[in-house]
Amino acid sequence: MRGRGAIGTDRSLAPYLFIAPAALLVLATVLLPILMSGWISLHQWSMLTPITSMEWVGLDNYAAIFRDASFLRALTNTLVFAAALVFIALPLSLLLAVLIHQGRIRGSGAVLAVLFATYVIPTVAVALLWGYLLSPRGGPVNEILDAVGLPIQPWLGSPRTALWSLVLLTTWQYLGYFTTILIAGLTQVPREYYEAAEIDGAGLLTRLVRITIPLLRRPLTFAIAICVINGLGVFDAVNVLTKGGPSDSTNVVTLHAVRTAFDFGSAGRAAAMTVVLLGAVAAAVGTVLWMGRDLPDA
Amino acid sequence: MTSYALAGHRLDPHDGVAGMAEPVSRRSTMRIVRSAGIGLAAVVALSGGVATAQEPVTVTYLTHWVPDWVAQLEEAATAFEAQNPDVDVEIRAVPFGDLLTTLKTQAASPGGPTAAGIYNLWLPELARDGIAAPAPEEFLADITANWPASAVDGASVDDVNYGYPNEINTYALNYNKRLFEEAGIDAPPATWDELIDAAQKLTKKDGDLITQQGFGLINSWPAGVVHPFYSMVASDGGDIVDGTTPTMDSGATAEVMALYERLVGELGVTAPEMGQADANTRGPFMDNFANGSTAMMIMANWWQGSLKDAMGDSYADVATAPIPVGPGGDASRPVSYEWLTMVNGQATPEQQDAAWRFLQFINSPESGATASAMGDILMSNGIIPSRTSDIDAYSTVLTGDPFLKTYVDSLATAVPFPMILGGQELSEMIQKKLEAIEFGEMSAADAAAQAQAEATQILSQYYE
Repeated sequence: MRGRGAIGTDRSLAPYLFIAPAALLVLATVLLPILMSGWISLHQWSMLTPITSMEWVGLDNYAAIFRDASFLRALTNTLVFAAALVFIALPLSLLLAVLIHQGRIRGSGAVLAVLFATYVIPTVAVALLWGYLLSPRGGPVNEILDAVGLPIQPWLGSPRTALWSLVLLTTWQYLGYFTTILIAGLTQVPREYYEAAEIDGAGLLTRLVRITIPLLRRPLTFAIAICVINGLGVFDAVNVLTKGGPSDSTNVVTLHAVRTAFDFGSAGRAAAMTVVLLGAVAAAVGTVLWMGRDLPDA
Repeated sequence: MTSYALAGHRLDPHDGVAGMAEPVSRRSTMRIVRSAGIGLAAVVALSGGVATAQEPVTVTYLTHWVPDWVAQLEEAATAFEAQNPDVDVEIRAVPFGDLLTTLKTQAASPGGPTAAGIYNLWLPELARDGIAAPAPEEFLADITANWPASAVDGASVDDVNYGYPNEINTYALNYNKRLFEEAGIDAPPATWDELIDAAQKLTKKDGDLITQQGFGLINSWPAGVVHPFYSMVASDGGDIVDGTTPTMDSGATAEVMALYERLVGELGVTAPEMGQADANTRGPFMDNFANGSTAMMIMANWWQGSLKDAMGDSYADVATAPIPVGPGGDASRPVSYEWLTMVNGQATPEQQDAAWRFLQFINSPESGATASAMGDILMSNGIIPSRTSDIDAYSTVLTGDPFLKTYVDSLATAVPFPMILGGQELSEMIQKKLEAIEFGEMSAADAAAQAQAEATQILSQYYE
């Protein structure tokens, strides 16, 4: 019996032992850098000297970044960018998903394949492509606007339009990805629900609001969370196309942190920025997941 | 030996287009390095980062040069290796925008760069943190004997030299002669009043839309914004700092900001949206000058090669003139800055010694055809070398090329960009304030006041 008890105890530990290697890997590659960033954010350090030479400054770096007009602008731009993605890319994706799933678009398979292709193209390539398309003089988009009698736009060349130009290209890039996720969710919705609703006289909008969206709760929650994470972490397109300009209008937290760390030699302030960004991501994603969980099942 | 691909693009080394020719894997690697962020950088620092000696000694030379420049440098490296079989030289090319980041993230690692070509604004920080090694006595004697004192100063911090000066760049007014003739203007502007008058005559509009701007300003690129601005300030008798004390809200600095505000607003001769630079320091600002949509702008001599490529036969329309002198100035005083090659102070003593010997070789007259190998490479692309014997060897070209002559002549009155700790941050802060003026987001007076406050805060991190 004693032996069995020992074996039983061992078995209760077994699951933990199995996941221990993976957990340690996650700890070392995810948690440790996060904790180190938090620790570094409380110090002054240039990254070029041994880490043991860091000078303790407490919360000074946090005070400094919230006095930094560029950081505040970058934080605002980042939040606006993420929100714009959620409120532009996701509704468009939902609309496309419904149309494709209901077979209202001819060649829907090909359309979906083309849409998804934009997601697998590297962001740098997407940025370069859109940099050409949105070129103020001679760019195809402005040529089209001019041809149909609409005023041409400065796009990336003006603070008024630059951030929205980046939202446009990012929406284009992610549209296929979110559409695919939502179509996968739509395949799980029983057709009988729609048939019953139609018999009851429910229109397209009613069916969308009362059946589709509630039953897409989980994929929609996932899509919103991914959208928020990608939006708050935007870097590549900004770095390639605008470097945060003109006039800080496209500066985002990731770019500002990279500049602060590597160009200005202030790893402490950069780490404080990344901690603030991490807090924003955690708060936003936590809220999305909470709201997703709070919705009643249809 | 070289770690980039797609050779054959002939592009200016300062535009960072080397990055465009990189394989995706390198780009991905750079993103990963960035994404890993501060925490991982700390892990690198914890590793100690002391290079180990190897046989033969490997010297890794980090540069932002484009492929055909690197090919020329490799020829010189091969010649050096033939004379020094104990040394293996590797040339590593990264885009300009990644140069400082690469240097900072890899300097302490065993496989990091042994030597690097750098912009001298970065030198104070690299010297402070021991990344840039002071020149040993033997090489210091070579440098001080063969370079002008001003060039040696540009590669020094607190009178300690940290490398071989390579090139010197300065700024001038670039203008389109054809557009000047069409507008009936006989000569380039020499004063602010003449600049305004010429810009008004050269500006064309379609309704409110400027289709041809009289005077172009660059945006979205720190040096492209700040260097022309500083040249205007210096040519108006002022400076952005007095030692390490900012002077942003008065005198010439405030006057040039007010001039920018007038050019864009009241006078309507500058269209900021035509001045955008992309990540490769090219883009619309250059396209608009090349295709005749910008009549005048202030730029550095190094873009001559890019202009020739972009304009073809129309390059004959390009002319250069000194920076227009402001009401408070006594002469045209363009900003100047240097590039130098430094040796990594974190490399092993054997690597450092081999690196210094390599730098001495490529900067010596024996290594090149007309001048030093460095001088030959630079001059083949319209860049002014700083070694005295290189300048002498190319004196005919430097004074005979009308484009370059303006720049060479202006060196006598050029003002070095302040080499102070926090210089890069200061530069980017000024850039943002100027762009805010250009795009009507801030008045010149507010921008000057805010710039003064922020400059004071930036410099207070490093100076009492």
